[in-house]
Amino acid sequence: MLSKPRGRGRPSPHTDRDRGGGGRGDETPSTSRGPGSAQETPGSSWSLSASAPAPGARTQKQLELKVAELVQFLLIKDQKKIPIKRTDILKHVIGDYRDIYPNLLKLAAERLQYVFGYELVELEPKSNSYILVNTLEPMEDDAEVRGDQGTPTTGLLMIVLGLIFMKGNTITETEVWDFLRRLGVYPTKKHLVFGDPKKLITEDFVRQRYLEYRRIPHTDPVDYELQWGPRTNLETSKMKVLKFVAKIHKQDPKDWPAQYCEALADEEKRARPAINAPASLLNSEMGSEGLGQGSGTQRHRAKE
Amino acid sequence: GVCPVVYMQGSTRRVGIMTDIHRRFLQLLMTHGVLEEWEVQRLQNHCFKVHDRNAAVEKLEDFINNINSILESLYIEIKKGITEDDGRPIYALVNLATTSVSKMATDFAENELDLFRKALELIIDSETGFASSTNILNLVDQLKGKKMRKKEAEHVLQKFVQSKWLIEKEGEFTLHGRAILEMEQFIRETYPDAVKMCNICHSLLIRGQSCETCGIRMHLPCVAKYFQSNSEPRCPHCNDYWPHEIPEVFDPEKEREAGVSKSTRKSLRSRQH
Repeated sequence: MLSKPRGRGRPSPHTDRDRGGGGRGDETPSTSRGPGSAQETPGSSWSLSASAPAPGARTQKQLELKVAELVQFLLIKDQKKIPIKRTDILKHVIGDYRDIYPNLLKLAAERLQYVFGYELVELEPKSNSYILVNTLEPMEDDAEVRGDQGTPTTGLLMIVLGLIFMKGNTITETEVWDFLRRLGVYPTKKHLVFGDPKKLITEDFVRQRYLEYRRIPHTDPVDYELQWGPRTNLETSKMKVLKFVAKIHKQDPKDWPAQYCEALADEEKRARPAINAPASLLNSEMGSEGLGQGSGTQRHRAKE
Repeated sequence: GVCPVVYMQGSTRRVGIMTDIHRRFLQLLMTHGVLEEWEVQRLQNHCFKVHDRNAAVEKLEDFINNINSILESLYIEIKKGITEDDGRPIYALVNLATTSVSKMATDFAENELDLFRKALELIIDSETGFASSTNILNLVDQLKGKKMRKKEAEHVLQKFVQSKWLIEKEGEFTLHGRAILEMEQFIRETYPDAVKMCNICHSLLIRGQSCETCGIRMHLPCVAKYFQSNSEPRCPHCNDYWPHEIPEVFDPEKEREAGVSKSTRKSLRSRQH
């Protein structure tokens, strides 16, 4: 939807359901800044056409609308697979409702889980950036009914993740290309399916937090090391990647005993609650009250 | 978890219950900008198959209504419409509140969005519902944001066609059914004097036929339905003879037959191993 031309109010959220105090419980009312002071920043493609909340109170509908905007924002941003920063959320969606940001985020997280099956997870503790993790198991046949081909580039990602894991969780960039060359994938040549493999691996996947890419000091010519990024551990597992590698080789995961043991240990760690579980939103932003559902303890991963 | 049934204030609509079938359906639906009815049906069948093989697949309309009852509090809905050219049913997930948090705003830059806005205005103002490439490109200097050259603008217009916001026919552009589904409300509110409406279904009309005497307009599929098996079509408003060719009513069965005969041959071949 295109943002409406300035000067036009949008359908008024000021309904007659304005309960005294705005139904927000104990929060102090936000200071009113008057109409027209909304968050339209030049250059921002998210300029809200919402008018600032009425002095003192916010209606139930305004809150609902705010949560709805937040849910949409998170869904759309996540489709790009780039972690969503708290600063962006505050700037582009929350605005004047900053005082109840934790509540809004919690409500949005609930909706995302209940309606769409996505868990809102903080990428790393205290990073203030979030991703959506699918709590539904992806199915092979999903590919036939998707509208976005699930990106063929994920094949390349899986290969690189597999390489890294099989080589002991870290690998040099040189080693990566030595391997990929054998598959007809080169850093300097455009690839029919992957386009620009060098950019994908060293930039896109890194930005999406699937990979970590660090310069190895004192190397000449300069070389880099690649490791799994924080998103990888949230979206997949060592066991899954090992199974993928085994499948390509038409072998059994147990044919790599060292890696198999490591993957098993990782599975056990994941099954244990709380301590090693990824920082789910509901634990980090809200303290440990959380909510029963989606509180980051038991996550629904079908045991294979 | 089960969400308790909620009676929303002012509405007697009973809110349904989400299961993984519905969630998978929504997730996969969101990977599309717009879908034809058979694709939606296929998607629904797939989701039932994944989560509950034995359950009978619910009637599509009820299935979608159930999901919409839950999406209501998020101000989005799975909206059904028909294409303006041949009346085929299409579905898209659309925004009910007119905020700017939208799919289109994320996928395009400021100057690209403005190019779309310019094309949209030309389309709405035109008599035929089409805006020529030339006329759109001539407005390139007036765009907000980063300066865009005509060559680049041509490329952007193609992006709009690929992502199904615009349709191109012989160098002219009109709105895709997706854009109409998503933006009808916005368009009616923003251009109240310029928009055309269909005399039959009373929704936004971009392309259609018009009466040469009194000027009322009708969508092609609305014409098809209204004058179906009528040998002497007359304007519903002024009763004058309707001078245009009456199109066929969209028949999903005919469509499917054409598609099935191809795929049956294919599957028969594979079964012969």
